[in-house]
Amino acid sequence: MDPVLVIQSLISGVMMGMVYALLGVGFSLTWGVMHVIHISHAVFGLLGAYFAYTLLTLYGVDPVVSAMVSTPLLFIVACAVYQVLIRPLTKAREMVVASMILTFGLAIILENLLVLVWKADPRLLTPSYASESWIIGPFYLQYPHLIGFALSLVGISSLYVFLKKTTTGMAVRAAWQNQEAARLYGVNLFRISMITFALAVSTAGAGGISLALLYSFEPHSHNLWLIYLFLVVIVGGVGNVIGTALAGLIIGVITGLSMAFLPYQWVNLITFGLLMVFLIFRPHGLFGEVG
Amino acid sequence: MGKKKSKHAFLLFFLIGVCLTAGLPASVLGAAKPIVIGGSLPLTGQYAETGQWIERGMRYWAEEVNAKGGLLGRPVEFKIYDDQSEVSKAVTFAEKAITVDKVDLLFGGYPGTAARAVMAVAEKHKYVYVSMGGHMKSFQQGYTYSFGAPPLMGEWWYEGFFQWLATLPANQRPKRAAVYTINNPVGLSLMDSINRWTKKLGIQVVINEKYNAPLADATPLIVKAKQLNCDLLFSNGFFPDGVTTIKAAKALNYNPKAIVQGIGSVIPAWVKELGRDGDYVFSGTSLYNKLNYPGNDKLNAYVKKKYGLDGYPLYFGFGYAWMQTLEQGVRGANSLNQTKIRDWLKTHKVHTIAGPMTFDKNGLPPPINFCTQIIDGKVELIWPKNIRTREPVYPKPAWK
Repeated sequence: MDPVLVIQSLISGVMMGMVYALLGVGFSLTWGVMHVIHISHAVFGLLGAYFAYTLLTLYGVDPVVSAMVSTPLLFIVACAVYQVLIRPLTKAREMVVASMILTFGLAIILENLLVLVWKADPRLLTPSYASESWIIGPFYLQYPHLIGFALSLVGISSLYVFLKKTTTGMAVRAAWQNQEAARLYGVNLFRISMITFALAVSTAGAGGISLALLYSFEPHSHNLWLIYLFLVVIVGGVGNVIGTALAGLIIGVITGLSMAFLPYQWVNLITFGLLMVFLIFRPHGLFGEVG
Repeated sequence: MGKKKSKHAFLLFFLIGVCLTAGLPASVLGAAKPIVIGGSLPLTGQYAETGQWIERGMRYWAEEVNAKGGLLGRPVEFKIYDDQSEVSKAVTFAEKAITVDKVDLLFGGYPGTAARAVMAVAEKHKYVYVSMGGHMKSFQQGYTYSFGAPPLMGEWWYEGFFQWLATLPANQRPKRAAVYTINNPVGLSLMDSINRWTKKLGIQVVINEKYNAPLADATPLIVKAKQLNCDLLFSNGFFPDGVTTIKAAKALNYNPKAIVQGIGSVIPAWVKELGRDGDYVFSGTSLYNKLNYPGNDKLNAYVKKKYGLDGYPLYFGFGYAWMQTLEQGVRGANSLNQTKIRDWLKTHKVHTIAGPMTFDKNGLPPPINFCTQIIDGKVELIWPKNIRTREPVYPKPAWK
């Protein structure tokens, strides 16, 4: 086996996996903290991608700058979505099921809005460095992969630091671990849930931009992205930020190695076979807690 | 009093008459009842862009026909369902159009997987179905009511490319090919001409791999092709995987003599989104907007005016050409009887924007061998030579 092929496959696999992790980390949070399985999460990622596409094609704005702009914008949008749609769900008897149905409907509405505004044509995010590489010996580090990887690292680290070091972040974690106890300590669960949801959606925007640097996208692409979200979240453990990041890396490594060693048609079989194995034998994921 | 009675009786008869006539078919009354042409298209979902272009082509045809007095003296209208790019829904809507709506005619759907499934429905109900079909196997099922006019045949897709390649001196042809194919009926159908012609031209297929969609990463594919010195790359897939492959080829500075792409490069987004990176890619087609057949100029002028495009998109043309064929079948049979339309189409030549066509027992015209290459951001026809719009660029210039 050619070591260059193996290492090159590993490099691009890891970078790709990390980008999925950025998109997945918010999905994991809303699921873990709020018990909301946010089916329209990836559509917000697409919104980020279309936002970056529009700024790039109209004004030449770099996607990294767009990611920085879209994050606070999506935070505000998500606060409104939470107040109008998600908050009333807390009265539902089956929060998880109700949230899935509601956000599935939201995904369809948003997808159709994307078609209305940007049409159904496939798009590419092509900044000047879209097909450039940093060449180190025999290895090519593609700039879009590198930038997507860097964005993901920054996004996931920021979220991790926020959850670990800030009072609000600690309240989010407390709410996740034991809602009743958190409420007794004076944590405003609605406020915490809104912040969690908004954080999740804003990271989805950045994740969507990172993915758009790698792949073409169109209004229905969120369905495909959603499959990868479930993959990283279930492997990493629901609600676990670092777990999701590591799951992204692991999936990237597995994909890379599969591509190097096996026929390509096996790659998806192996990746999604992994998902089934986890669902059967370790449904709480590699880094999640039982129960 | 008697006068009043007869007035009431007249009014009563008048009202009964109005009620009765309202329930009668318009044709009985001499008014032209529309010919309803039904079916489904992927107007949302994965294939929405293509589906919408097909619909536009069909509607343009209907506008034209209605402006000229309709078909068999009746206006035509569509009953179009949105199958949301799902084959199962395309089948359901075809059944619904035939059995519930009782449409007069069926129109062709998209993509090949949907058309292939609807062909069986059309055969069961004995409805003529003019579409692109679902590659060769779909036309080898013994169906007698299905026609490809023009068809989208993976088996013929690279025929023109290889015919052109065969005209090059042997020492200028590529020697080693890397073939990456999407693992579905469309991708696999492309292998037919590759297998035949690479043997014939002495090109060694060094890599022959399949991948399942979505293609997560094309980097390993390109690394392998580059390491094994493949000077001919076949990227047998759709737009998303085609784009991923081209981007990786450029990022890794892989410069084969020729890159041949499946059907991703024939949609307008290829040129629009990839820009110059999409240049020099070879592909096939069964229809082209600069063909010197009647109707193409008119269609090009229409899309220029209506959509600001230089040349109609491929699937706009397909939608139009399928309806042209169906129209000629109906006019030729002078009837909406499906078997009469079928029999007429089997025995007569039709004239479409894709050229004149006759159909064999499978409903297929003789093999189509157009080869395209994207040059300066435009899809150019480079084969057959006599209708070439540009000289091919070969070998492919290095990436800039």
